[in-house]
Amino acid sequence: MSNQNINKTKEYKYGFSTDIESIKAPKGLSENTIKFISEIKKEPKWMLEWRLKAYKRLKASKEPDWQKPKFPKIDYQNLYYYSAPKSIKDKPKSLDEVDPKLIETYQKLGIPLNEQKKLSGVAVDAVFDSVSVATTYKEELTKKGIIFCPISEAIQKHPELVKKYLGSVIPISDHYFATLNSAVFTDGSFVYIPPNTKCPMELSTYFRINSSETGQFERTLIIADKGSYVSYLEGCTAPMRDENQLHAANVELIALDDAEIKYSTVQNWYPGDENGKGGIYNFVTKRGACRGKNSKISWTQVETGSAITWKYPSCILQGDNSVGEFYSIAITNNHQKADTGTKMIHLGKNTKSKIISKGISAGKADNTYRGLVDIGRKASNSRNYTQCDSLLMGNKCGAHTIPYMKNKNSSSTIEHEATTSKINDEQLFYCNQRGLNQEEAVSLIVNGFCKDVLQQLPMEFAVEAQKLVGISLEGSVG
Amino acid sequence: MLDFKPNEKEIEKIGKFSIEEKNFRIENLKNFNSVGFPNKLVEDWKFSDLRHIVSKNFAKLDLKLKPSKEENFDFIKDFEHNYIVLVNGRLTSNSFQHEDNSQIVINPYLNKDFSNKKEKNPLINLNYALSIEGFNLEVKDNYKFNKVLVIYNLFTKDLNENILNSQNRIKIGKNSELHVFDYVINKSEKNFFNNVYEDLYLAESSVFKNISIQKNRSNGFFHKFSKNILSSKSNYSSFIFPLGLKFDKLDLEFNLEGENIECNLQAASFLNKGDHQEIKTRVNHLAPNCKSYQKVKNVIDLDSKGVYQGKIFVKNIAQKTDAYQLSKAILLDESSEFDSKPELEIYADDVKCSHGSTSGSVEKDSIYYLMTRGLSKNESVKLLINGFLSEIIVSIKSKTMKNFIEQKLLSQIYEH
Repeated sequence: MSNQNINKTKEYKYGFSTDIESIKAPKGLSENTIKFISEIKKEPKWMLEWRLKAYKRLKASKEPDWQKPKFPKIDYQNLYYYSAPKSIKDKPKSLDEVDPKLIETYQKLGIPLNEQKKLSGVAVDAVFDSVSVATTYKEELTKKGIIFCPISEAIQKHPELVKKYLGSVIPISDHYFATLNSAVFTDGSFVYIPPNTKCPMELSTYFRINSSETGQFERTLIIADKGSYVSYLEGCTAPMRDENQLHAANVELIALDDAEIKYSTVQNWYPGDENGKGGIYNFVTKRGACRGKNSKISWTQVETGSAITWKYPSCILQGDNSVGEFYSIAITNNHQKADTGTKMIHLGKNTKSKIISKGISAGKADNTYRGLVDIGRKASNSRNYTQCDSLLMGNKCGAHTIPYMKNKNSSSTIEHEATTSKINDEQLFYCNQRGLNQEEAVSLIVNGFCKDVLQQLPMEFAVEAQKLVGISLEGSVG
Repeated sequence: MLDFKPNEKEIEKIGKFSIEEKNFRIENLKNFNSVGFPNKLVEDWKFSDLRHIVSKNFAKLDLKLKPSKEENFDFIKDFEHNYIVLVNGRLTSNSFQHEDNSQIVINPYLNKDFSNKKEKNPLINLNYALSIEGFNLEVKDNYKFNKVLVIYNLFTKDLNENILNSQNRIKIGKNSELHVFDYVINKSEKNFFNNVYEDLYLAESSVFKNISIQKNRSNGFFHKFSKNILSSKSNYSSFIFPLGLKFDKLDLEFNLEGENIECNLQAASFLNKGDHQEIKTRVNHLAPNCKSYQKVKNVIDLDSKGVYQGKIFVKNIAQKTDAYQLSKAILLDESSEFDSKPELEIYADDVKCSHGSTSGSVEKDSIYYLMTRGLSKNESVKLLINGFLSEIIVSIKSKTMKNFIEQKLLSQIYEH
C-alpha cells in the first residue's frame, strides 16, 4: 500500500488528519469535532454528553442580532475548533522575526526581554521559561488546599466539583456564543478555594503552566467556598497577536457564604489596523453568582484591544447581603467597536451593587455601555449605584449609554447617572504649558478620568494599565 | 389570547379612497396582521407587553368606524379659551372666538403622505391602515394666539371594547405662537383602545406650549405616537400629567432640524390601582446649538407600573448640544414597579449630555421629621408626594393653569 493510500484510510476512519507537528480537529462544527476534542482531552463520558447536549441546543438557536456593533457573518463551518499548541518549528526564532510594531509597544510598556519573547510566541529556552516560578507557586497553593489547574485537568481529577458547578451560572442553553463555548471549549482555568482560606497571591493565567495557548474557546470556572477569598487576573497588558478571529469564552464565578472573588481583566488583543481590517471578535460571557450570604463578587476590566468587544460581566446576587461590583474602562480607537457593561440581578435581601463605567472613544470608534439593574420583588432594602461617563475625541466617533433599570421593590433604591463630554481645552492647555506634549497631556487627563477604576486593579497591574491607557489613544489627538 | 386581525374589507367602510391610498392602507394592515400587538420581545415594548395587556383586558376588540353622537359635557370655566371638540377622535365642533379667524385653518384631516412604506411600529401600521379623520390645525405666519386653545377629547358612553384610530396634524407658522390644553373627558365605563398618530410642525421662531391632562380616571387604553419637527429658533414645551389610565403609552419623537431650538418636556404622574404608564421619547439633535430638557416624575402605588424610555441622539454636526434627561420615581407599595431606560447615542464631541435616573421609596428621615411635627404617617407621605410632583407644576408659567392642574393632582393624591 502506498503512503497516499494509508493517509486516505486514516482520514476516512477518524475524520481528521494526524499530523505530528500540529493536531487539528477537522474543519467545521459537527458532532465529530466535539467527539474529537473530547477524546483528545481524554474526557469522561459525562463531559462528552454535556458537550453534545450543548451542541444539540446550538443547532436550534440563532446568533443574536440586537447588539450595536454589527459584525460580518461568521462561517462556523470554516473554522478549526481545536488545534494543539504550535511546535517549536513554527514559532519565530527570535524577536527579529516579530512584527516591529509589536516590539515597539512592548518597549513602551517596559516589558522585560524574556517576557517579550514569551508573549510574541518566540520559542523560549527552558531556562528562561517561567515554569520554575510557576512550580514554586503551585506548591504553596497545594499546601493550602487550593486547586488551580487547567479545566481539562480538573475534569479528570475533580469531576465532582466540575459536575456540580460547570454550567450552573451560565447554563448551556444561555445564548448562542455561550452555547457554542459549552460545546467546543478547549481549555481554561479552574480554581477552587476551600472554606475559610485566603488565597495568598493573585492568581493569574500567566503563571499557569501551558497557559500560553488557551485557544479561542476558553472556559474558566472559579469557586470560592465559604469564607474564602481569591483575586484572579486574566490577560495582560501586552498586546497579544492571535490568529483566531472569534473568541467566545465563558467565565463562571461562584461565591458561597461570606466568600469574595475579585476578577480583574486587562484585554489588549489585536484591534485591527487603522482602516479597520482584521482584529479579534471578543464575544465573552462572564457571569458570577453570589450564592451565599454576605458574599461578594467584583469585576474590574480594562478593555483596550479587539476589533469588536462584546461582553457583560454580570452578578447574580442571590444570597442576602451579597455585593456585586463592576468597574470598567473601555477604550476604543480607529475602527474598534465596544459594547460592554454589566447586569446586576438583585434577588436576595439587602443586596448592594455598584457600577462605575468609563468609556473613551476616539478615531472612528463606537463605544457603548449597556447594562441592566434588576431589583426583584423580594430584594428588599437593596441598593444600586451606577455611574457611566463617556469621553469623546473627535466627531467621527460615537459614545452610547443604554442602561436598563427595573425596580420592583419599594424599599430598594436605584440611582443612575451618566455624562458625556470631551477633554476640556483648558485642561489640555494647562498641561501643554507645563511642558507636556499633546499626547502626554491626553494620557494624563484620561488617566485621571479613569482613576476610579484603575485604583481597583491590583498594584502591579494598575501601573501597566495606566501606560496602556495612554498608548491606546496614541494618534487620536492633534 | 385575543386574536385581533382586522379584515381588509373594513378599510372600505371608512370611506372612499384613491387606489394609492387604499393600497397604502392594505399594505399597513398586512404589516400589522403579520405581527399583531407587540409583546415584550420587541425592544421598544420591553417594559410594556401590549399583547399581554390587551389579551388580559379585552375579550374582543371591535373597530368603531361610525361617528358617535356628541354628548353633553362641562366646558372648563376656570379660564377663557378657544376650543375644538373631538368625539372619539373625530373633529365635531370648534370655536376661535378670541382669535382672528383669518389666521387659522381648522378642518378634518387624514394623512395623504404615503411615502412611509417601511414603517415597522405595528401600532403606526394599524393607525395608517384604519385611521378615521382627526383634525388639522394651521396657524399662519406672525400670529400669536390671545387665549389658550383647549382640545376636548371626548370619549362617549357607547364605547365598549372598541378600538379607535385617528390622525391629527398641527402646523405653526413663522414667528407664531400657540398654547394648547389637551383635556380628556371619558364617559365610557367599558374598556376601549385609542390609537392616535400626530404630526406637529414648528416653523422658524415659532412657539408651541402644551399641557395635557385627563379629567377623570377611566378605562381607556391609550397609545399616541407623535412626530414633532422643530425648525430653527423654535421653542417647544410640553407638560404631561397622565392620570388614572389603565394603559397609556406616549411615544414622542423630536427632530431638532435647525439651530438654537429649545425643547422641553416634563411629566408628573401619580399611578394607582393597576395603572400602567409609559413615556418614551426620542430626541434627535440634528443641528448645532440646541437644547433639550426632559424631566419625568412618577409616584407609583398599588399594582401600578411606570416606565420611562428616553433616548437622546446627537448627530456628529450637532456640536454644542445641551441635552438633559432625568427620571425619578417613588415606589409606595410592594406591588409597584418602575422601569427605565435612559439612552444616549452621541456622535459629536463638544456636547453636554447627561442623564440621571433614580427610583426608591419615600425618604424615611423626611417622614420622621414630619411626624415629629404632629402629622400622621399617611399625611406625611402624602405631603411628600405632593412636594415631589409639584416640582413639575411649579414650572408652569400661567397661574390659572397652575391652579387648575394642582387641584386635579391633589384630589388624586388625597382621594386614595
